[in-house]
Amino acid sequence: MTIESEAPAASAAGAPARLAARTRNLRKVYGKTVAVDHVDLDVPVGAVLGMLGPNGSGKTTTIRMLLGLVLPTAGSVELLGHKMPEGAGWALPEVGALVEGPGFHPFLSGRDNLMRVAAAEPRLASKDIPRAVGQALERVGLSAAANRRYKGYSLGMKQRMGLASALLIPRRFVILDEPTNGLDPAGTREVRAVIADLHAAGTTVLVSSHLLAEVEATCTHVAVLHQGSVVAQGELTELLEAGDSGLLVSTPDVKVAVDALRDNRIPAREAPSGVHVDLAVTTAPDVVATLVRAGVAVHEVRRQRTGLEELFARLTESADQGAGLSEVDTFEEAR
Amino acid sequence: MTVAVDAPIVTEQRTKAPVGRLLRSELRFMIRRPRTLVALGVLAVAPVIAAIAMSVATTTAQNGNGGPAVESVASLVSGNGLILPVFLLLLSLAMLLPMLGAMWSADALAGESQTGALRGLLLAPVGRLRLLAVKAFGVAVLSLLAVVIVAVVSIVAGLAILGGDGMLTMSGNVLPFGESLGRIALLAALVTVQVWAVAAVALAISAATDHPLVVLASTLGGIIVFTILGNIPALDWLHPVLLTDAWESLGDVIRDPMPTDGMVNSVLRAVCYLVIGYSLALARISTKDG
Repeated sequence: MTIESEAPAASAAGAPARLAARTRNLRKVYGKTVAVDHVDLDVPVGAVLGMLGPNGSGKTTTIRMLLGLVLPTAGSVELLGHKMPEGAGWALPEVGALVEGPGFHPFLSGRDNLMRVAAAEPRLASKDIPRAVGQALERVGLSAAANRRYKGYSLGMKQRMGLASALLIPRRFVILDEPTNGLDPAGTREVRAVIADLHAAGTTVLVSSHLLAEVEATCTHVAVLHQGSVVAQGELTELLEAGDSGLLVSTPDVKVAVDALRDNRIPAREAPSGVHVDLAVTTAPDVVATLVRAGVAVHEVRRQRTGLEELFARLTESADQGAGLSEVDTFEEAR
Repeated sequence: MTVAVDAPIVTEQRTKAPVGRLLRSELRFMIRRPRTLVALGVLAVAPVIAAIAMSVATTTAQNGNGGPAVESVASLVSGNGLILPVFLLLLSLAMLLPMLGAMWSADALAGESQTGALRGLLLAPVGRLRLLAVKAFGVAVLSLLAVVIVAVVSIVAGLAILGGDGMLTMSGNVLPFGESLGRIALLAALVTVQVWAVAAVALAISAATDHPLVVLASTLGGIIVFTILGNIPALDWLHPVLLTDAWESLGDVIRDPMPTDGMVNSVLRAVCYLVIGYSLALARISTKDG
């Protein structure tokens, strides 16, 4: 897990082949607007990385630079070990992407639209095109509507088309920019199922979203973008645990418990529902052992977990106040 | 949402899709577009209508109901059906064909960019130079198709409705049937090159915008401005660089013997515009955000 400031040197020394995508010092300026700045993003192979950030935080711009659609103002991009955009011919056939919504022609049917995309797909043999298109349509549940004009598709069906084109052939890396936009709850679940399938098959997935629950449900890794910079990235569970290293003890003997812990140099304080213990200098088993030795009646001990929402709010708000780094540094954990 | 995989989908390890497949796909896509079908349909019907109108005018004139002007036109056209393709090719070069070329160019990059479909091609990936080549090819083939439709339909309509088996030239003599067809083919080729030149410039504009209408408006606006400039004698020093200024000389195909200076000049100008248009388009598409 890395935080954007010092970490790059360390991970650059590691094997770059284990990263599906890597950006260093990425910067994009449109006119006078800095869209993305100092983005060092690492997407480990096999991960499902959720890219989080408020609207306008640079998620899509970063993805477009990853894919070579936009040239960075400064910095470097590696996609599946190939430098972008020069290595697009080698990297992109193995990458499926849905960026900035689906782009298809209204007067063609869903199938014909995909046939057109398939014709441009380097890895597809011409004779396999109809079969690949049929399978992709089936995978996203559009087989029944395949011969209707794209014009008449609902928003959700259009989004499925975008997914179908990203999944036209088996990929090593799938990038989905806001994949659940416009989908109903059933569609959202299906997208989750697709992501889970891909993950199970060993495919690396990058999903951008501003829906936190979405990311929490599907991702193994998270990168949080705010105002064009990565403010935190790493494994989801670690980020969540690092977010609050507290233990909540339910006990009727609150006073005794706090005293016993403080005698053992463990920071503790009274909390509404019992005792709150800071785990920065100790571990949960030690806390429990100390309490038991002091004869405290313990009803329940549980890890106080921050939801992603809280973590996200803290990261983006602290960055707003400009005092973010000390806060963020607490996420720098032992590797 | 699970798929039974019977055979591996990926059997190739190349970095580019075969170019023939891309070109076929592009042409199929362009030709199936409703606006293309309408445009080609209009091009196919217009010569027939023109032939019928001329035939009616001729008949009226022969009955002695028309004025002297109608009679002279009628005498030129009657039994001289092969003049119809020449007449229609020159007429459609003035506005209709350049407009279609510009429309196809506008759809090729700006239109695709607007729907987001261009991104799909770039992600496949289709290299940017290749993409431009495929698009330019599609526009060129359709422009050629449009000219061929005008020529062929008007030859048939002219012969069937106005009659005749030769071409009366502006010099007064009649060319035999075979040579007449040769002259028409030559004119069609010259017109095609001019449409390509307009379309190349339109493609450059198309690479620079996401709005197809901007392409169409600026290309047609350009042609109108060029035509006006070409009609101002005080600006004769400017005329040699105007593409439209050379179009008048294309009428030379119905002179006998045929002067070729103007035609060669028109082709050279068109080639200049082609080179400039494609160069600008390439420069722009290389850095265009997808």
